[in-house]
Amino acid sequence: MAATTTADRTGGLQRRRRSRLTRRQRTRLIRTIQYAVFVAVGLLIVLKADWPRLSHDYFNLAIARQLFPDILFTALRNTAAYTAMGFVFGLGFGLLLALMRLSVVAPYRWVANVYIEFFRGIPLLLWLFFLGYGVPTATGAQLPGQPYSPIVLGLGMPAAAYMAETIRAGIQAVPKGQAEAARSLGMSHGQAMVSIVIPQAFRIIVPPLTNEVILLTKDSSLVAILGVTIGTKELTKFGRDALNQLVNPTPLVIAGLCYLIITVPLSLVVRRLEARNNRAR
Amino acid sequence: MGFDMDLIDLVAKKLGVIQTVVDTPFEGIKSGQDLNTGKCDIAAAGMTIKPERAKVIDFSVPYFNATQALLIKKGAGYASLESLKGKKLGDQSGTTGKDYVTSQHPAGVTVTEFEDLATLQQALATDQIQGAVDDLPVWTDYIKKNPGKFEIGAEFQTGEQYGFGIKKGGNPALLKTVNEVIAAAKTDGTYNTIYMKWFGTKPAA
Repeated sequence: MAATTTADRTGGLQRRRRSRLTRRQRTRLIRTIQYAVFVAVGLLIVLKADWPRLSHDYFNLAIARQLFPDILFTALRNTAAYTAMGFVFGLGFGLLLALMRLSVVAPYRWVANVYIEFFRGIPLLLWLFFLGYGVPTATGAQLPGQPYSPIVLGLGMPAAAYMAETIRAGIQAVPKGQAEAARSLGMSHGQAMVSIVIPQAFRIIVPPLTNEVILLTKDSSLVAILGVTIGTKELTKFGRDALNQLVNPTPLVIAGLCYLIITVPLSLVVRRLEARNNRAR
Repeated sequence: MGFDMDLIDLVAKKLGVIQTVVDTPFEGIKSGQDLNTGKCDIAAAGMTIKPERAKVIDFSVPYFNATQALLIKKGAGYASLESLKGKKLGDQSGTTGKDYVTSQHPAGVTVTEFEDLATLQQALATDQIQGAVDDLPVWTDYIKKNPGKFEIGAEFQTGEQYGFGIKKGGNPALLKTVNEVIAAAKTDGTYNTIYMKWFGTKPAA
């Protein structure tokens, strides 16, 4: 019994040794397989797709031409404006919430915690619906400052909850020694926070804040639930309406590409900003 | 709408199949994408037969004469689109009601567009708009469910008719069956029974 097992085992070992490749060969094999999969998937897409129909339905130039210039001067502009409004509100309020979360006063911490948990948890669409239809039902009046107030609050209040956590993490990432040094120079806690800690915190959180702006850019498509006039349509709504009118989905593709006009330059700017920050550090 | 579903039930019975209902946004239905991609075989969505739509969808024979209507709060007294001058009028994205409002573009009326029926209704209920345009049967149903609050301010005879949609050139046999079923239901009285059930009146001859 024992003898056969040993024999089997040595046989197995030998077989394995024979089939084993050198490390270099193996790397080359794996790389070849990766390229092969890439090419195969690419070919599959190219061969399987119904190109004439796809280009007629989704890349129809005659349809696309009809979208300009309104898609840029109304829709893209509105998307950018709504995003900016939501971001400015969210950043300001988020900073306040972050400071409240770090406060020594317990009720401030509780309020900030509840706020953050609530707004991070509920879907944005429901919150917008509540602002647009729930508030007038409850109070018998619309929010003042139509049509922008529900947009600013609708996008900004949930954004503030996300940003508060980002900013808090940034503040906590600033080495304690910085605040201590500032205090030892005679600064008050508040002064140290404002002129020493917060500026450094923002430098740290530039990448996650960029994420937040990009998410907000896309979330701004949800404000259409508030109801839109011709002048207040943003990109997604504009694309969907054009789809309805022209009975062709090309406008959705164009609207989608227009979002990149905002997000790609933003990413590039932030990357340069970061590079500069790193040199300055 | 229940009326559409009851008619489609007749088609399913005739074919001896069980239908699966896919609830999907209107854009996908009328742009023909849902049918083209095989997401569904037949679209029953209170869809008006329009030339632009007929380019991407095969329509059945008409099964319903739709009229557009202006819904207002009870006693508000708006009897036409023009009477809403200086006020706000709501309509629903992608509907023929919206097309009608756009084609009329009443002077001095701010037109706000809403995503779906629910938000349009909410907007009127919360006074964000003073009038709302959509298909008449939609509003009669809504008035029935909210007695005493709303009324029809005006009806607009746009001559539009609903048809079932089938993939363009995709299923002539199904199209033929649907047309036969509609014709049969109209002659044997089933159509009238279903119409009665949903709208409480007999269809106008």
